[in-house]
Amino acid sequence: MLKNEIFKFFAKLFNLNTKNSKCKSCCNKQKTAVGISVLAASFCYCQECDLEFEGQILDLHDNSPISQATIQVIDSDQKIYSDDEGFFKFKNQCSGKINIKISHLKCEDLFQELNLKKSVFKKFFLEHHIESLNEVIVEDNKIRELSSSAKTYSLSGLQKDIYSGRGLANALEQISGVNILTTGNGISKPMIHGMFGSRVGIIYDGIQIENQQWGQDHAPNIDQNAFDEIRLVKGAGILKYSGDTPGGIVVLENRLPAINDSLYGKSILNGYTNGRGLNFISSWIKSYSNGNYFKAQGTIKRRGDFSSPNYLLSNTGTNENNISFSVGKNKILSQWKTNFSYFSQEIGILRSSHVGNVNDLVFAIESDKPTIINPFDYQVNSPKQINKHHTASIQYSKRNSSNGKLNAKYSWQRNNRREYDVRRGDLKYKPALDLTLNTHDLISSYKWVKSNWSLDSGVFFQIQDNYSNPDTGTRRLIPDYLKTELGSYFTASLVPSNNFRLEFGFRFGHQNNHIKKYYKNKRWKEENYEEELGAYVINEVLSQKLVEQRLIFNNLSINTGVKLSILEKLKLNLNLFHTERAPDIAEMFSDGLHHSLATIEYGNPFLKSESTQKFVIDFEKNVGNFKYNFSPHYVVGQNYIIIEPTGIEYSIRGAFPVWEFRAIRSLIRGFDFDFSLKLNKNFTVTSSSSWIEGFERKSKTPIINMPPFKSTNYIHFSIPKFKSFSMAVSTKITMMQNQFPNHNFETSFVEYGKRVDKIVDISTPPNGYHLLGMEFHWGAYPFFSDKISISLIFDNLLDTSYRNYLNRLRFYADEMGRNVMLQIKIHH
Amino acid sequence: MIKNIYLKPIFTLFLFILIYACSKDEDPEPAHEEEVITLVTLEVTKVGSSETVKYDFEVEGHDHAHDDDDHDDDDDHDDHDGEHTEIELEANSSYNVSMLIYNDTDPNNIENVTLEIIEEADEHQVFYAITDEVSGFSIASASNDTKDSDGNPLFIKTTWTTTGETSGDVVGYLIHEPTSKTGSTRNDFGGATDFEIEFEVHVEE
Repeated sequence: MLKNEIFKFFAKLFNLNTKNSKCKSCCNKQKTAVGISVLAASFCYCQECDLEFEGQILDLHDNSPISQATIQVIDSDQKIYSDDEGFFKFKNQCSGKINIKISHLKCEDLFQELNLKKSVFKKFFLEHHIESLNEVIVEDNKIRELSSSAKTYSLSGLQKDIYSGRGLANALEQISGVNILTTGNGISKPMIHGMFGSRVGIIYDGIQIENQQWGQDHAPNIDQNAFDEIRLVKGAGILKYSGDTPGGIVVLENRLPAINDSLYGKSILNGYTNGRGLNFISSWIKSYSNGNYFKAQGTIKRRGDFSSPNYLLSNTGTNENNISFSVGKNKILSQWKTNFSYFSQEIGILRSSHVGNVNDLVFAIESDKPTIINPFDYQVNSPKQINKHHTASIQYSKRNSSNGKLNAKYSWQRNNRREYDVRRGDLKYKPALDLTLNTHDLISSYKWVKSNWSLDSGVFFQIQDNYSNPDTGTRRLIPDYLKTELGSYFTASLVPSNNFRLEFGFRFGHQNNHIKKYYKNKRWKEENYEEELGAYVINEVLSQKLVEQRLIFNNLSINTGVKLSILEKLKLNLNLFHTERAPDIAEMFSDGLHHSLATIEYGNPFLKSESTQKFVIDFEKNVGNFKYNFSPHYVVGQNYIIIEPTGIEYSIRGAFPVWEFRAIRSLIRGFDFDFSLKLNKNFTVTSSSSWIEGFERKSKTPIINMPPFKSTNYIHFSIPKFKSFSMAVSTKITMMQNQFPNHNFETSFVEYGKRVDKIVDISTPPNGYHLLGMEFHWGAYPFFSDKISISLIFDNLLDTSYRNYLNRLRFYADEMGRNVMLQIKIHH
Repeated sequence: MIKNIYLKPIFTLFLFILIYACSKDEDPEPAHEEEVITLVTLEVTKVGSSETVKYDFEVEGHDHAHDDDDHDDDDDHDDHDGEHTEIELEANSSYNVSMLIYNDTDPNNIENVTLEIIEEADEHQVFYAITDEVSGFSIASASNDTKDSDGNPLFIKTTWTTTGETSGDVVGYLIHEPTSKTGSTRNDFGGATDFEIEFEVHVEE
């Protein structure tokens, strides 16, 4: 404002700042005009100076006219004000370039260069000042709602931090209905409503992670600490991101930094007794008042062998190094951002879980403890996995005057997975599996928000290339393929009143898979593939047939949902998701031996798209100190793809059960129940429980790996006087799973000179268990110029020995025992 | 405006398709199974004779083998496509038996894995489990057998001694990274089974 006054003053006196004006020769003689109004009506007596330049000044956010804005032609120093309707008019302007400046008390100055050739009318949109726009910014910085009808669960900052060293899946397990499917104690992946892998989408920064997620022993290659928010929708609720994930969607996002000059960050140091590990995470954001920002984040983790209450779990250490950078510009109306991240992890797999054949498996099951127990070590040996995930992305979004927002994003992901087995000779140093997956995504979307409705639509394109390194000395578990997908989505959300919301959306994807796979002649003959695949054979070498196929899948997913407030305190969400999922390449073409279960896995090349209908209801009630959410769900599947044993294959190595993929008509149902009860000002009880069952509709055979009933309960204690201290006691109860398919089989071997026949019990789930935990939190205290918080967390306080049904390696060893974790957190 | 915004990326996308569709046209190289053991041969030579009898134990799955396993038949425990290998021995004799191990996945490049096993004697162990039905028959390490760094015989070269007439099953194992190098049953050795060959010995007068 002050600036303006000075300007006016100078203008009054001399009409000085007109050096660049082409009209200078004729216009700067106008010294007669002094007053503001007179100045606005200054004249030019040049021949070509008879153009009119008029316009209107509008508020960019709501299109309302802005009156009393100063419009100044800098070159000639003419100045006028907009009227009540935001209009203004300059007469007698010369042709050529002019520079204008529009200013208003509440708005940012707008500078613009115009090339006048004829009389024009132009609209100008002013941005509010940053300070007065705080609300808008806050709105924008607030992570947007994922779905207006499906319930979104999010992890609190504290929950997120507590699990900062334990992987994404473990962090998500705090939410009811989420379980973890593990391979030993180092590898875990989230399971939502009994579904996992490709049926659970993990979206980071708006793109689904592509990291060979089909594998049961493939943990998501992502560092959740690089993100501010972790949220979850149980169901394919967000068609913007994915349409083929009936289990649910996990969304990891970052808040936009504020538009001001600041440098801030957070560092967390975690130390663990079990595994004698350390884990350090640090993230820093530097932002500038012009909207530029830079963010850097890094995680480093070193951990040795875990231990169960009675013995060490040899070769279960982990090394992890992750780093991510982003640079962006955050303006109120437009944002751009480029991002790069690198995730690298080396995970040891329990040494004794590597068995040669079924008879070895029997010995392992019969033995109370692992057959191999070595002294504690940080060294990670075979069997192990080395996973690397690179991401580079660039995105741009722009808001326009009619409250539409355009977003475009390109992302590249490169995932390399190497799995090392216990092998002979020089092969020891060669991975037995070496897959490189390159994925390019391009997404463009347009979102239109009005006060009581919003529309979001977009197109997406993905190209994915899988390369399976032949130099592993084994046959490829997954063939080379190229997948392209092109599609679009549309979602609409209506809010007719505060008590009623409606949502509808669909997503269509056209997927083209180009696969080149070698089939062993033996398998080819056994399965009689010649009849159906014979036409696709393009080469034959080393008693293998190379088959080239193009498989096309068209999938349509539809969502509908309503959110109602029936009574003042009772909210109801009803959602119906129809999802179609193309079978994974692994489900169609996997071919190989899994040493941890001594099983041979075969894909089924004739699988069709899987379709599921999921119905979820959320009753949410809030009665003073008592809040609860009861959420039953019901999932019907057609062509639901499962893997199960189909027989035994004998080879010179011994006997191996064969597992093959098959499509069934499935039914999964269950409920999640969460409540929180504030007993008094010191004590709060929170609880979340979930129960689920799943079976084949025709035969009523239970589906494998359905989580048993689980209930997690906390008693939180805090003293209102001492805000810097709180504690909690937790109990986690897991029952025994009684519904399981019987996949046991008989094997025969020689023991102490006698031939014995034994049942290999790979089906019976282990007993239920109860784990006690405690948490203490202190802070935040001032620490130099920063703030420090300290947490002490005890897991499995009683050092209970137990085995977990959802752990693939449950036959070999107990789960980890007591762990004490010390966490030091500094907010910079 | 909106049209432009949608069209441009789509156009770019099609460029991508072109680029990638071309590069994938290369056929993947066939993978060589380097680690597998596909053939185990027992060379049985009677002490004092120069005549050697070879017994082959093959993994199924390559062209020169039979391809008609019956997977549903759980009682079929034989390695060689239902064929039963019988090793004929004379009573009151000694035999030198050499175990030879091959990977013949690629018929043009048969790999002799035996050498590798001998080189890594510390990490391997051969064990013969003799069922109780065979009496008066013993298998001992031969004098020219390989010994590991602790002096434990590998049992890759063995001496079989017969007494009276008998017959019964013997199972030979190659154990990778055994937890113990000695024992009286397979279980005692721990480790992972690299192969398991089963045969019947026939000792006749």
